[in-house]
Amino acid sequence: MNEHLEFNSDAEAQAEKNLFRNRLIFAFLFVLSLFTVLIGRMAYLQWIDFERYHLLAEDNRISVETLSPTRGKIYDRNRLLLADNQPVFTLKLTREKIEDLAEIEQHLAKLLPNFSESQRSKFFDKLRKTSRSKTLLLPYSLSESEAAEFAVQSHKMPGVVLTARLKRTYPFGASGVHAIGYVGRINTKEMSGLDERSYRGTDVIGKLGIERYYEDKLHGEPGIQQVETNARGRVLRKLETIPAVPGKDIQLTLDIKLQQYAESLFTKHKRGSIIAIDPRNGEILTYVSMPTFDPNLFVDGIDQKSYSGLLNNPHKPFINRGINGKYPPGSTIKPFVALGAIEKDYISPTKKIFDPGYFEYKGHRYRDWKRYGHGLVDMSDAIVQSCDTYFYELSLDMGIDAIHDAMAPFGFGAVTGVDIPGESKGILPSQKWKRETKGLPWYRGETIISSIGQGYNLTTPMQLAKATAILANGGKIIQPHLLRGQELASPQQIEIKDIKNWERVIKAMRDVMHGAKGTARRHGAGLPFEVAGKTGTAQVFSLNEADYEAENLDKSLHDHALFIGFAPVKNPKIAVAVIVENGGSGSGTAAPMAVNVIKEYLKTNP
Amino acid sequence: MKIALTKTDNVYRRNKGFLDILHIDGWLLLGILMLLSASTLLVYSASGGDIDVTYRHILRIGFALALMLIFAQIPPNILYLFTPWLFLAGILMLIAVILFGDVGKGAQRWLDLGPVKFQPSELMKLVLPMTIAWLFAHSNLPPSYRRLAVGALLIAFTAGLIVVQPDLGTSLLIAMSGLFVLFFAGLPWKIIFGAIVATVVSLPIVWHFMHAYQKQRVLTFLDPETDPLGSGYHIIQSKIAIGSGGIEGKGFMGSTQAHLDFLPESTTDFIFSVLAEEFGLIGVILLLTLYVFVIARGLFIASQAQGNFSRLVASSLMMTLFVYVFVNIGMVSGLLPVVGLPLPLMSYGGSALVTLMISFGILMSIHTHKKLLSQ
Repeated sequence: MNEHLEFNSDAEAQAEKNLFRNRLIFAFLFVLSLFTVLIGRMAYLQWIDFERYHLLAEDNRISVETLSPTRGKIYDRNRLLLADNQPVFTLKLTREKIEDLAEIEQHLAKLLPNFSESQRSKFFDKLRKTSRSKTLLLPYSLSESEAAEFAVQSHKMPGVVLTARLKRTYPFGASGVHAIGYVGRINTKEMSGLDERSYRGTDVIGKLGIERYYEDKLHGEPGIQQVETNARGRVLRKLETIPAVPGKDIQLTLDIKLQQYAESLFTKHKRGSIIAIDPRNGEILTYVSMPTFDPNLFVDGIDQKSYSGLLNNPHKPFINRGINGKYPPGSTIKPFVALGAIEKDYISPTKKIFDPGYFEYKGHRYRDWKRYGHGLVDMSDAIVQSCDTYFYELSLDMGIDAIHDAMAPFGFGAVTGVDIPGESKGILPSQKWKRETKGLPWYRGETIISSIGQGYNLTTPMQLAKATAILANGGKIIQPHLLRGQELASPQQIEIKDIKNWERVIKAMRDVMHGAKGTARRHGAGLPFEVAGKTGTAQVFSLNEADYEAENLDKSLHDHALFIGFAPVKNPKIAVAVIVENGGSGSGTAAPMAVNVIKEYLKTNP
Repeated sequence: MKIALTKTDNVYRRNKGFLDILHIDGWLLLGILMLLSASTLLVYSASGGDIDVTYRHILRIGFALALMLIFAQIPPNILYLFTPWLFLAGILMLIAVILFGDVGKGAQRWLDLGPVKFQPSELMKLVLPMTIAWLFAHSNLPPSYRRLAVGALLIAFTAGLIVVQPDLGTSLLIAMSGLFVLFFAGLPWKIIFGAIVATVVSLPIVWHFMHAYQKQRVLTFLDPETDPLGSGYHIIQSKIAIGSGGIEGKGFMGSTQAHLDFLPESTTDFIFSVLAEEFGLIGVILLLTLYVFVIARGLFIASQAQGNFSRLVASSLMMTLFVYVFVNIGMVSGLLPVVGLPLPLMSYGGSALVTLMISFGILMSIHTHKKLLSQ
């Protein structure tokens, strides 16, 4: 035979084969004996103990149901309700008990005219294919009159039951949606990352903002209830219960009235952000990202038409501008650069520089915003009048790395750590940054434009607000946050060489608002308190979003308008950063908005 | 020599039918198809007549059968050449899972490769036994102590990478598939018994390092009644379903326990309970007979295989299949702890079926690619 030919020349191979064969026989006997054990076990359960299990099954009326926890509510700083759970009516359909699905579908179509046809047929499709014993909830909330009408007609629809459930609602609607966020149906991807046990019986999860960031606090723990059912699975009696642990209510630092007010300031311009922080503790008072959208649309799943409407809105409401909008900070960074320069002795605060309206370096003219220049300016004048030439010249003495080191402690170029998920960190350029990200050396010309917040610089409104708050509170590195009681116990302190330098910069910022030559003096006049501020107008070199219809606008309106400020100067209670996309000039557009927010806040919080 | 050639020539001609051209083993295919048909009926019943679920199940079966066919075309010597590289790739992927795996249900077992999510430990179920077989195929059997030690180290290393995911159940089963190769390669009996004694002694230490939820599982296994609302609920309900099936069962679609939602995971891990309830002890014995038939055919293929690599791979893959069947049925009938393991060829679900059908493809390849004369 073949095998003999193959191996008989090799006694070792034969021994090998015998060994393997013995092991195979042993393995097969092992398999047989363990399967015998299994059959024995089955015979024990199904034959000897059959009577017992038969009775247990007949009597198997104790079933376990999950009790879903009530989601924690969200309040604003004045205990106004921002996210609530409202009982709503919906219908529960059990396929097993329905005789004619098509008939029920017709009844419902008549009864609920607002329930869209596409959603209805989708739902009934699902019901048709699903397990007979399953009960599905109609993805629609009935109005009270619809519920009453259903009660009258319910005899025509066996297997359809009116039921109440809790639905997340946001009483203030679109206001503050980018901070508060919303909940929506759990999708398959989220489901795979969740602890099955604690999400049994829950069908929504925080998708954005606070709702997502504090999901663990808000969600709670489901309970378990033993119920007695009849032979068809219908609940007769409730037995033992482990109650659900409701999610924790949380209070935010947000002032929703101030938030609404700040949002109402975006009338002429549609896009931008206003963030106000209490510089003493980092509490975020307003978090505006415009335009906004209504979170209530998302709770039960948004319909395709509304969703694509929002998605294709040219103003891009889904962008969370407060933490993801990256803007050139423009002149708003001048106070920080100036402070760094005088603290590290790159320039004396009293040294005057002559500004002819431009700065020349290697044959290239860097223009000041003021055509014929500011004349002789010192550091204070340079901030008050926002003189570019002063900073062009200073920047070459400092170098990009010194500018970077002066600004980094204020949080530029790093995430602020705010409790909203998905924050961007912007760009604070340095030689190292450029080498690592672009693989190129730094050019001195780039330092010049960086000094006025152009070039590679990109900041988020949240970063600007944080930096302004740190400047206002004398260098205390606060942590901006939305959840009450999250302030740092002992925040780090920026190293101060001479407190007089800080006072000089703040005095100059006061003069921006109240001085004779201040860029925003007309908005500072007549206020019952003093404001320190800085305007900024950031040139937008590339408008890649063509659908802004930018070409129809006046050229100057291409610029982003910026403003940072705080008040009162002596004992700051509020620090604000404003960015208005394509808003024109900082002094014309952003400064009055900031002043109004400050005024509104100090009116109720003197 | 001459006679032998004519003889083999005859054998060759006699067998050259349709299945031979496709490199399919008819007996094995018959057993597999019978099990898969039973599986389709059961999934339909256990899901309460859910057409969507049943349809998806059939699609997966089709896909898995196609993969089996593909792997049956790959000659064992090609597989042998690729084995070390597959092992290396598998180890790298396991490390990748630890570093940046997708955390699903508290354990990071998935690797997200763009459109597909991939479970490297599933791949290792095949590749680890192949690798150990590759290692031992370099010399005569039984292997030297040094080789045995290297094999044991590779097994421990692979299992270790899966334990830290953390996935204790899978890691033990994969280690088992490697250990079967050691056994078939002729691991001396004294070492086998020594290892069993050592395992028993070290159990308290393992206990110490278990996660709380794993300890809880073992405790409720020992006395499910202590946690009737939690994990004990599964075992209690499963035993009721099985026991109430009696000898003849309640008939197709007659499982009250699954249909009233008493029985959890009725289409996946607990599908055996549905079978036992609907088809009774008779159905159970028929099913187990089918499994014995498939395993026996697989072990026969191993006994006829040429070369140590083919022998060891075929035999260890079949024993791994046996362990899965035994652990699942033992689990749902309350003999073994609940480990969350599907019943091979029966449960609804994709990746385990794919792996299993690939291993059947390898077996068929081993059986149908034999050389007429080997030196």
